[in-house]
Amino acid sequence: MREKRKGKIFGVTGNIILCIVALLVFIPLVWLIVSSFKTDADVIKWPPAFLPKEWVTAQYEYVVNAIPILSMLKNTVVFAGSVTVISLLFDSLAAYAFARMEFRGKKVLFTIILLTMMVPFQIIMIPLYIEEYKLGILDTLLGLILPRASGAYGIYMLTSFFSRIPKSLEEAARIDGLNNFQIYRKIVMPLSKPALISLGIYHFMNNWNDLLYPMMLSSSVENRTLSAGLAVLVGSNSIKYGPTLAATVISICPLLLLFLFGQRFFIEGIATSGVKE
Amino acid sequence: MEKTKKIAAKNQKTAYLFILPSMVVLTVFVFVPLVSAFIISMLNMDLYMKDISFAGAENYLKMFQDARVWNATKNTLIFTVIEVPVQIFLALILTMFMQKNTKLHKFLRASFYVPYVCSMTAISILWSMLLNSNSGMLAYLLKKIGIVMPNLMSSPTYAMAVIIMVTVWRNFGYTLTIITAATLDIPYSLYEAADLDGASGLKKFIYITIPSIKQTIGFCAVTTFILAFQAFDQIYVMTGGGPQHKTETLVSYIYDRGFKTEHDLGYASSISVYLFIIIAIITICMRKYISGKEEQQA
Repeated sequence: MREKRKGKIFGVTGNIILCIVALLVFIPLVWLIVSSFKTDADVIKWPPAFLPKEWVTAQYEYVVNAIPILSMLKNTVVFAGSVTVISLLFDSLAAYAFARMEFRGKKVLFTIILLTMMVPFQIIMIPLYIEEYKLGILDTLLGLILPRASGAYGIYMLTSFFSRIPKSLEEAARIDGLNNFQIYRKIVMPLSKPALISLGIYHFMNNWNDLLYPMMLSSSVENRTLSAGLAVLVGSNSIKYGPTLAATVISICPLLLLFLFGQRFFIEGIATSGVKE
Repeated sequence: MEKTKKIAAKNQKTAYLFILPSMVVLTVFVFVPLVSAFIISMLNMDLYMKDISFAGAENYLKMFQDARVWNATKNTLIFTVIEVPVQIFLALILTMFMQKNTKLHKFLRASFYVPYVCSMTAISILWSMLLNSNSGMLAYLLKKIGIVMPNLMSSPTYAMAVIIMVTVWRNFGYTLTIITAATLDIPYSLYEAADLDGASGLKKFIYITIPSIKQTIGFCAVTTFILAFQAFDQIYVMTGGGPQHKTETLVSYIYDRGFKTEHDLGYASSISVYLFIIIAIITICMRKYISGKEEQQA
């Protein structure tokens, strides 16, 4: 009896602590969103008020007109979107070969690919900059997309997923006369949809949110992504408070909406990474 | 016999075609730059790539006399040594209270992940504004109870603490998600015996949950460590490395030296090689320690 009560106290205290943390998470985010609808005077008002006195969209209008935020948004969509689609294609092709086919040098190549996961971006950042300059793709969207068109993490994750698909399905298909590419396209890929979506979201989110990589490889305003453009504007103090709030909301909104509808895939993409290993 | 060999050879060719696109990308954009990094670190080379000359170990020698390298190393270590344990500890405590699959707990799990969906850039901007001592909400609330809040971001004492706090605030949901996912896989039968003995929630967590998810905690420790060692975004946005280089990490310094102030690519490269070596050594040691511990257990 006493234990039961103890367990209940534990549960209630736990829930209270959890709710406090949840408030600490949500209040700043809600503050950001509601404040982006304040007037200029309201934003820097002392004493500050949580809610706007009147709700206006002036900050958004200013941001859209005075800052190339829409072109940044477009760049971010093109960059993150292309990287996601192309890397899913390339990584899944490679993963199919590693999981389902035999060829000379397979083990060595796979090990080398896994080792590149240990290489931090900072060490290749300067050579990459020089290389892109020599190739003439520095400061272009193509230059942002190509280096991310395939990656060790995607190949690794898909290889382990593909190896778990039962061999019997493949054998039946082979008897029906399907070749490797057809098996990849008609059997392995459709069966791997959840893994592909999780990995795709993982890529999309990471590239959308990345700062150092796009900032270093794009110098002109026209080719900046949202986080790079925003960081530079704020860093150079060339943007006022109100517009910064609106621009920040614009930069996080698309992913938040995506999270609202596809939560499961966001969480699965990373949750599975920790269980293996 | 002849025929199977032919099929095998044809299969080999197809396999190479399958891996070709990825191998081209990885070769051009990972392997070549990786090798070049070591070469560039031994050159005198600036951002405009004219007058390139061989420098040998000069850049490395210069590095060891550069006080900013030591300062950045120290800051990176301080940041990592505090941020990583705090993030993992916080995730563990919250996981302890979230063992049930109730609606509330499911909702909370998703909620804690929300900051991680937002970019570090956006989160850093958000917190810079909230903590602003002239117009920020927090300054006002503190003033009401009689505390005058200093300008945290330009204070040598508090700036690093604020950056750590903001990093944990954004990233703890990531660790939490991985750890909770692992705890949900623990067989319920393990807890049943403990329930019969009347063990408390805390005891069950320490003696059953933590040992069962040790591997996952180790994985989190290694990945969080690697990320912490590469901290850049929050520093770039919130302090720019200041005040007085108090928050300048190795990556901030590499960026500053290579792309912002001196445009000295050769020298910046040698610092990145140095960073790479530190990360590699610590990662290998951590992995060894974790797997060594497991063997002891077994």
